[in-house]
Amino acid sequence: MNHDDRIKELLKQALPPVESGAEPERNLWPAVLRRLDEDTTLQRRTASFFVPWFDWALLGGLAVFAVSFPAMIPVFLYYL
Amino acid sequence: MTNHPYLRAYLAGVLFPTLVFPLLLTALVLNLLAYGQPFPVERIMVFPLAFAPACWGLWNVLWLASRNRTHLPLGLHGAILPFLLMPLATVLAKRLGVISLGAHSVTWFQAIQVPYAVIACAFTFALVMYYLVWKYIIGFVNRVLGIA
Repeated sequence: MNHDDRIKELLKQALPPVESGAEPERNLWPAVLRRLDEDTTLQRRTASFFVPWFDWALLGGLAVFAVSFPAMIPVFLYYL
Repeated sequence: MTNHPYLRAYLAGVLFPTLVFPLLLTALVLNLLAYGQPFPVERIMVFPLAFAPACWGLWNVLWLASRNRTHLPLGLHGAILPFLLMPLATVLAKRLGVISLGAHSVTWFQAIQVPYAVIACAFTFALVMYYLVWKYIIGFVNRVLGIA
């Protein structure tokens, strides 16, 4: 028995033979699609978002304004 | 989650002002207790409590209803809201005696005096604040609720 035959024999021992015509009781494909859709939706919802430099600059300007005019903070809260 | 998208949009819009409102109320009450300044708290609360959250919720519903036609980003849509809310709030505040208009300045809550030049600058920063809050906070809540 050469090396290939030995591997074939071992594989046959390890894996039970599949019955001819054996199929799952129900169609599994819709469940796979649903699972993929759930995964991508969850990823999209929980993905950490990227903040562009422009928005950081705006936030910085807002912070500088709040520090410069702290009396305006309750007014801002009022208009929120 | 495909049911009642407008209801979810309203709730997403209402969330942020509803969370901020207690901060304002706490600041006012602490100021009242600490300094004994006679703030008309019940008059001040009318706008932040009754109008602002409903306006935010309805504004988010409007964004959801119109985004397929306008393709307007949520941040810019939110930055338009102060043009509607601030005149409304100012008129209401004036009628309730929350603000008094002077020759060179406006006085809020009978305590905070702000010159008109600063108010013009503050309005610009209010637009920035609305833009950021709508883009990141309302946008995040919209994504969590499956709207955006």
